[in-house]
Amino acid sequence: MNPNDLPRELTHETTADALLAAVRTVAQGPLAAVVEAIDREGHYPREVLQQLGAAGAFSAHLDAPAGRADYGLAIRAMAEVSRVCGATGFMVWCQLVCGLYMQASDNPALGGAALQALASGEALGGTAMSNPMKSYAQIESLLLKATPVEGGHLVSGTLPWVSNLGPGHACGALAAVVDAQGEPLGRELMFLLRCDAPGVELRDCPSFSAMEGTGTYALRLKDVFIGANERMAEPAKPFIARIRAAFVLLQCGMAVGVAQGAIDSMWAVEAQLGHVNQFLEDRPDALQAELDALTARVMALADTPFNDSVDFFIDVLDARAHGAELSLRAAQSALLHQGARGYLMSSDVQRRVRESHFVAIVTPAIKHLRKEIARLSAEVMPS
Amino acid sequence: MNTAPSLSPVAAAMQALAPYQTYLCDACGYLYNEADGDPDGGLPPGTRYADIPDDWACPLCGVTKADFRPYTPPSLEALRAALPRSAPVAARGGAAGVVIVGAGRAGWQMAEALRALDAKRPITLVSQCAGDLYDKPLLSVSLARGLAPDTLAKESGPAAAARLNLRLLAHTQAVRICPDTRTLRTTRGVLRYDHLVLAHGAQATLPPALPAALCWRINHLDAYQRLRAALGNSPKDVAIVGAGLIGSELANDLALGGHRITLLDVQAAPLARWPAEQAGAPLLDAWKDLAIRFVGGVQVARLEPVAGRYRLTTACGQRFAADQVIAAAGLQTPTRLARSAGLAWNQGIAVDAATLGTSDDRIHALGDCIAVNGQPSRFIEPIARQARAIAAKLCDAPPAPYAPRAAVVRVKTTSHPLTLH
Repeated sequence: MNPNDLPRELTHETTADALLAAVRTVAQGPLAAVVEAIDREGHYPREVLQQLGAAGAFSAHLDAPAGRADYGLAIRAMAEVSRVCGATGFMVWCQLVCGLYMQASDNPALGGAALQALASGEALGGTAMSNPMKSYAQIESLLLKATPVEGGHLVSGTLPWVSNLGPGHACGALAAVVDAQGEPLGRELMFLLRCDAPGVELRDCPSFSAMEGTGTYALRLKDVFIGANERMAEPAKPFIARIRAAFVLLQCGMAVGVAQGAIDSMWAVEAQLGHVNQFLEDRPDALQAELDALTARVMALADTPFNDSVDFFIDVLDARAHGAELSLRAAQSALLHQGARGYLMSSDVQRRVRESHFVAIVTPAIKHLRKEIARLSAEVMPS
Repeated sequence: MNTAPSLSPVAAAMQALAPYQTYLCDACGYLYNEADGDPDGGLPPGTRYADIPDDWACPLCGVTKADFRPYTPPSLEALRAALPRSAPVAARGGAAGVVIVGAGRAGWQMAEALRALDAKRPITLVSQCAGDLYDKPLLSVSLARGLAPDTLAKESGPAAAARLNLRLLAHTQAVRICPDTRTLRTTRGVLRYDHLVLAHGAQATLPPALPAALCWRINHLDAYQRLRAALGNSPKDVAIVGAGLIGSELANDLALGGHRITLLDVQAAPLARWPAEQAGAPLLDAWKDLAIRFVGGVQVARLEPVAGRYRLTTACGQRFAADQVIAAAGLQTPTRLARSAGLAWNQGIAVDAATLGTSDDRIHALGDCIAVNGQPSRFIEPIARQARAIAAKLCDAPPAPYAPRAAVVRVKTTSHPLTLH
């Protein structure tokens, strides 16, 4: 086969720098042009997402042949997007973890062409794993229930706020397996949920502070049949344990990008306002040094995203927490640096303040991260 | 209305070819880009600044074109280079002071030594437990002395914190040191420090064959109190894996408390770490009237729950049943904080013998977590001297250099007290 006949993203002949440059071009061009519509009008940037996919932003982390198994590159690409639009950066993360689930499932029906479609952006997908992740961290209980039936399971329940959804989309989801009487059977089912499947209803959510354009819906499931083609893992706990560090680590791209965008807008007014801004805490050079150190940490962790040691996971959780804290400080300081011009509703600075709040509260939120670190750090003893 | 003077056709053509310029509104910072124009304000894309009517208004703040000036984006390098000229801003919250990690004897002694020299300096003590003060040696003799577990703490953490005028962050995990920003990341937020003192101690080693959830390790008051609660008031079968100092002391004390002890070790006799002392035989002899069965030369291969009790299986196939199992297989120093700060390491946090300074000049360490010349120091006696040496350094007081001495170990096996050298 002539490699020239293959789509470019399949051949991986682009260098990492070329991929990043292509992503940056989309982010600073077509994405920047619609960022206000995404934020203010709830515009879902399907075309931009597909351009990002074509540039390779959704595949870098996946193993060959779908990708190049480079988590660092995937995170840097997500950061380029988040630097311009935090909401779109979040959707990139949704897309990346959906691909991660599909590939890690080892289900042939979710690999091959299905995975390739997601990796290229032809298909779009999300993750309904906020509730399960909080459930495993002992913060809330599972909302979906799966009852075994001939050839699969019937899944019912309602999940609030699942992102990057729409007609034709799919998302990774997890349900507690129960018997016919609704009694838990002590295991979970992880599966791919197709938004178009019979029994699935997408319901509009109330308005969000900064995530209006992210295709976020409440998912209502009534006896949705999940068969072998959708199954990712059962029992799901070992599967989650395998992917949890990669799942959290990828989110660092959002944090790093939002923080970088904030630092950019501090520099943008430095020539005019530096004479007064020098009296502020958290100046751009100090924040940049801290961000660079954090980025270096994240890149080192990205070399081994499937390291399953507790100590490694604590490092990932802490890097993610540091990213959220730094996003908050950088966005806040950018607003103080820009003053009134940053307070205009049309300013990316005030938008970024709201985006930084999202980085801090989306699962895993800062408080969840700290609670999980505390839980994992405690010496285990007989109960 | 166009008030610009009309140009010759040649001049107009020249202007049309010139690159588009950007103009900055002096009032609000709005950037007018000639390429984009201001379509909402009646200026199509490509409208030159010179062609903007005088009655046009800035779309953000309403001033006219007279308040605009040419704008060239400055280079980031130039902006960066200009920054150091301004004085630094005080970081939030005043002086960061000293942050101490660990509220065992080493952490509290450190706080006491600092307070003795400086009444005002901010001190923050970070502890993963409640931070109550107690004497750890009592954990080995409390049954012999008839001390109830809930009476072992001699002062609560909050009371000691109030007495020493320090901030105690109890039940808080220290996660990472960031030396470049001089911050300690914890599960209750980020702490700035001027000086950091690591006093987090060592952790009991868990032999690979023993699952953590099935066996106790007694290195803290909290674990000891929970073990005593699990044992209750009636005699129980207790298996202790490891017959070193702690294993032998606990065996002795729990046996005096009426429990039946099986003490296992890979060595042929207890206290085999001090071979010159030949302490094992006299100790076993002193124990002969107690319910202590010593089984030497065995390697524990498996521990499993069986019908509400536990079963230990050795590599040679012997089985022992127990109500509770204690692992006493020595100590190891947690590496996380030292690693995060890139501190030199040699069997523990490597410190200078005299100053207790680590390889980072803002970070000192003392107690069970340090090693001097590759030699960990896990005894009580040196801790107060170590704390005084660090406090003198941090408070610019006359030096009080620490000097390691050969440790004398008093084995608190009350049926046969021993001194090991």
